[in-house]
Amino acid sequence: MMSTAPQARSAGLRYVFPVLAGKLARVATRLRGGGSAFPGYLTNRLAPSLLPTLAGQFPYGVVFVLGSNGKTTTTHMISEVLRAHGLTVFTNPTGANLPQGVTSALLADATLTGRIRADVAVLEVDEGYAADLADKLSPAVILSLNVQVDQLYRFYETERVADMMLEASKRAQAHVVVNRDDPYLSKIDVDAMRAPVSFFGVATEIVAASAHGLANAADTRSGNAGIQERDAYSEVRSVAGRDIAVQVGDADVAVRLPARGLHYAADAAAALAVASRTLGDRFSADAASRGFDRMAPAYGRGEVIPLRREPDGEQVEFVMFKNAPSLQMNLDALDGAPERSLIAIDEGTPDVSWLYDVDFDALKSVDVVTGEKAYQLALALEHAGVRIGAVEPDMEKAVAMMRAFEPTAAGRQTWFVNYELMMIGRRILGHGDQEVARR
Amino acid sequence: MTQIAIAQLYPAELGVTGDRGNVRAIEARLAAAGIDSATTRVGIGEDLPEDLDILVIGNGPLSAMRGVHADLTARGDRIRAFVADGGVLLAVGGSAELLSRGVTTLDGETIAGLGVFDATVARTRQRKVGYITIDTAIGPVIGFEDHASEWTLDDNAHGYGRVTFGQGSFALPGGEQPVRGELVRVGNAIASNAQGPLLPLNPDLVRELISCAVARRGSEPDLTIGVDALDAYAAGARAAIAELVHGKGFNTIQL
Repeated sequence: MMSTAPQARSAGLRYVFPVLAGKLARVATRLRGGGSAFPGYLTNRLAPSLLPTLAGQFPYGVVFVLGSNGKTTTTHMISEVLRAHGLTVFTNPTGANLPQGVTSALLADATLTGRIRADVAVLEVDEGYAADLADKLSPAVILSLNVQVDQLYRFYETERVADMMLEASKRAQAHVVVNRDDPYLSKIDVDAMRAPVSFFGVATEIVAASAHGLANAADTRSGNAGIQERDAYSEVRSVAGRDIAVQVGDADVAVRLPARGLHYAADAAAALAVASRTLGDRFSADAASRGFDRMAPAYGRGEVIPLRREPDGEQVEFVMFKNAPSLQMNLDALDGAPERSLIAIDEGTPDVSWLYDVDFDALKSVDVVTGEKAYQLALALEHAGVRIGAVEPDMEKAVAMMRAFEPTAAGRQTWFVNYELMMIGRRILGHGDQEVARR
Repeated sequence: MTQIAIAQLYPAELGVTGDRGNVRAIEARLAAAGIDSATTRVGIGEDLPEDLDILVIGNGPLSAMRGVHADLTARGDRIRAFVADGGVLLAVGGSAELLSRGVTTLDGETIAGLGVFDATVARTRQRKVGYITIDTAIGPVIGFEDHASEWTLDDNAHGYGRVTFGQGSFALPGGEQPVRGELVRVGNAIASNAQGPLLPLNPDLVRELISCAVARRGSEPDLTIGVDALDAYAAGARAAIAELVHGKGFNTIQL
């Protein structure tokens, strides 16, 4: 695959000023505690060619990870599998998936003359910006995970999201990787791609046995709501809790997932397809397994944090959701109803109509409902027949209530949270780092 | 009191914004009042129940609207007769547009509607997104608007609500200030672009619809018993939204 990596563009002194300006802006915005987009914006203005120059220096090229759900987790998986093969991986921090955020992250790692030392870049990229960013970064591989009903207030119609991913995929230089089990993505026009297409998926009988399948959006436009049959290059063959087996080409890879759930199994198959295609003959099933073994859960995706700041005491498992499919897949993955649970949603999720599309049968009861939208959430749960202990919109007070309960027999509470309240919840529990590179 | 027959039409195609919640709100409150009900999910090519009392249709993308169009057109006489007879209907988003006289897309194409509501709809480039509050004959209605459509009513008397916060679906005649409207009502049929879903968030609106349906069967139930939790959570949600939009200078979402 080395031969398909883009040629390195020359770095040099002309980048000293733009890079320095960007780095200083980065320090300044961090001291102020603000966002990280401005430094990227500044540097892009001062030196528009810097971004392609940086991207051109990775011998194994740039990998884009797109999808309605699972971008952060899968980016994390690909990075760890490649690291386990001895590669130095550059990746963007959790959630920094807009162009300025990607630039800012590259900037932080670049030398003053615009050099960057890593073998490969694995970047999660917002679907809305994927094609534009691909024009600048010339990715070798573009992975599209899934098209699910998500952020309708932003994307309007789900099929538009599919088109954004398929359009961006045309820009992949070496490989396109898409989900065989996704109605829209499975219908990719293979001939319209510059690079060959590899499919990943989950064995049909495993999907059929899942309460809500994989929760991918139905295709409302082609006349075939379901998938077009494709042979998977990478396929999940068995699932037993967190332990799954994936066949990748001729290799069988044993994977221990960072958290339970069929969506994570599908993400793992995607990550393995990308790693195998990127590494070619260097891909090793054993190294890939080791990569998963040392992977810590991403923020809030099955992450476990002490409830009362006692490392050996009762723990909180964070289960993050951002839309109906991600919440449904996480509920389907529960190993029985949680002993003690909190559920939280705030204005970071503008429209919560989709709560009524979720089957909450796996939950039975919730102890505390919290967040700015606590009452809207409680209303949806009440309509779904879920027993509610208390509604407390203030997250601090809700956490105090959770800490005041008798310890659970299993020593673990489960908190279902949207992204913003996951961050706030972690901070209240004493895990404050809001922007930490994915390492 | 006989059983109330509820149908949700095209739940798979037009049901992407929690539209099942509108059905659940009706079911839950009928059950609390001790009234038996049965809900049928009706897809393309399937029959609506014979003695239909309440018809709920939801929202979906343009491609889904096109997908159900032929089937819906074939049901035109039935649905128009149902509404003319005082049947209760709630249509939100894409389905509401299909029950107008027609929708003109951004490409200039016109999709013919059933004409249940005397209005035409034009898709717009600008999208209206955010909480909406509406004054109506039955009190304030609250929801979340998320659409790119502008309705033109033939008869302003069919406008059922005046927007007090948010953007709304249509213009109403006003004085100096432009007045915006949301919710169209013809008989006991209501069309709206307000999601949330609409009925769980608005107990008075769901009581109004249930009362109309039950009255057609000659009954007058007490819809205030057994709904303490539903009403309390709805009140909490409405108060939180009201505080956001009126209290702290909350604006519609900037994209």
